Amino acid sequence: GRGGMRGGTRVAVVPHRHEGVFIAKGREDALVTRNLVPGESVYGEKRINIDGDDGEKVEYRVWNPFRSKLAAAIVGGIDKIHIRPGSRVLYLGAASGTTVSHVADIVGPEGLVYAVEFSHRSGRDLINVAKKRTNVIPIIEDARHPHKYRMLVGMVDIVFADVAQPDQARIVAINAHNFLKNDGHFMISIKANCIDSTAEATAVFAGEVKKLRSEKLKPQEKLSLEPYEQDHAVVFGTYSVLNLGA
Amino acid sequence: MVLYVLFEHASGYALFKSIAAEEIGAELGEVQASVQDLAKFGKVLKLQAFQPFKTGANALENMASISEGVMHDDLQNFLEANVPRSKKGSTVSLGVADARLGASAQEKLHCTVTATGVVPELTRGIRLHFDKLIKGLSGSAAAKAQLGLGHSYSRAKVKFNVHRIDNMII
Repeated sequence: GRGGMRGGTRVAVVPHRHEGVFIAKGREDALVTRNLVPGESVYGEKRINIDGDDGEKVEYRVWNPFRSKLAAAIVGGIDKIHIRPGSRVLYLGAASGTTVSHVADIVGPEGLVYAVEFSHRSGRDLINVAKKRTNVIPIIEDARHPHKYRMLVGMVDIVFADVAQPDQARIVAINAHNFLKNDGHFMISIKANCIDSTAEATAVFAGEVKKLRSEKLKPQEKLSLEPYEQDHAVVFGTYSVLNLGA
Repeated sequence: MVLYVLFEHASGYALFKSIAAEEIGAELGEVQASVQDLAKFGKVLKLQAFQPFKTGANALENMASISEGVMHDDLQNFLEANVPRSKKGSTVSLGVADARLGASAQEKLHCTVTATGVVPELTRGIRLHFDKLIKGLSGSAAAKAQLGLGHSYSRAKVKFNVHRIDNMII
């Protein structure tokens, strides 16, 4: 937690275009979120304390785009993230909860993050992140079987998927059918060689987009995550229930 | 035909009665449209019964059964007490979210059970409006029930001591 970003007087924090996300302007700009649990880092990330207008300290946590695909998409200039203060998010592939912790910062105390992770090893870390952040509901279960955790999840504004599985389009679809509001949004991170390691990355992305369309998931924006991730893209879109066949 | 729909929530079991199921069954599109609006949805479904879980341990036990598609005794008692028997001229049908649970319900309750057709769409509507359909349940209380059960279910899943920190192997 030491280094150039410390020393609040020289760093200014300004709101990002995406509500709930901020930019720390120091020697180098850094993406940050407002720490929901001041005084603590989640995974060793740097914290920045700023004097607020009323003399109160406000703490932010640095969000590294090399460690988070959502951060990479924001730095890469994605148009809309559809996650804002108060949002309810279903996060599939929550891993140890590093990105989840930043999403929890963004949605704030009025929002909720349903965080699904199947690996027990990562799951232990996720449970610990959720202990401090009470807007995170940990769900150690297989995202392929949403009926197993249907008692825990309400309707959400966005389904966020970073599962890196060959059948991920189907995983997102069945979760959307169960939990995503009409006209809600989805974001899916696609790693080309997780789907098909022999095909060209562009062909893999096109195939995944086609699969999503057949499940009422209408892709609206696709962004490559270069230089932060190789052969990796994120697709954002809308869940259109009512216009089916119309 | 009278259609009842079971909804399982972290706070308890709820049973809804679908009003005029035959007409709306024919018009899935209309159900989809009504789901958005609580006032309209309230005319499609009516709460028949709600049974909260007694304790956190009781909720966890029930969720363990639900996630495996098994009928817990609490659920069987709840359904036996609240789903009326089919009579001549009016068949009773029970809508459930999971076909596996449906199979064990059909066996034990001797009524028609369905997990398809209009049921998934009605379930989406119940999930969207749940805290407003149950008297005395607020949105924050519903989320608190999910949070508590999410932690206990997940802790039970990982089994190991969650306080243990893995030693880094370099």
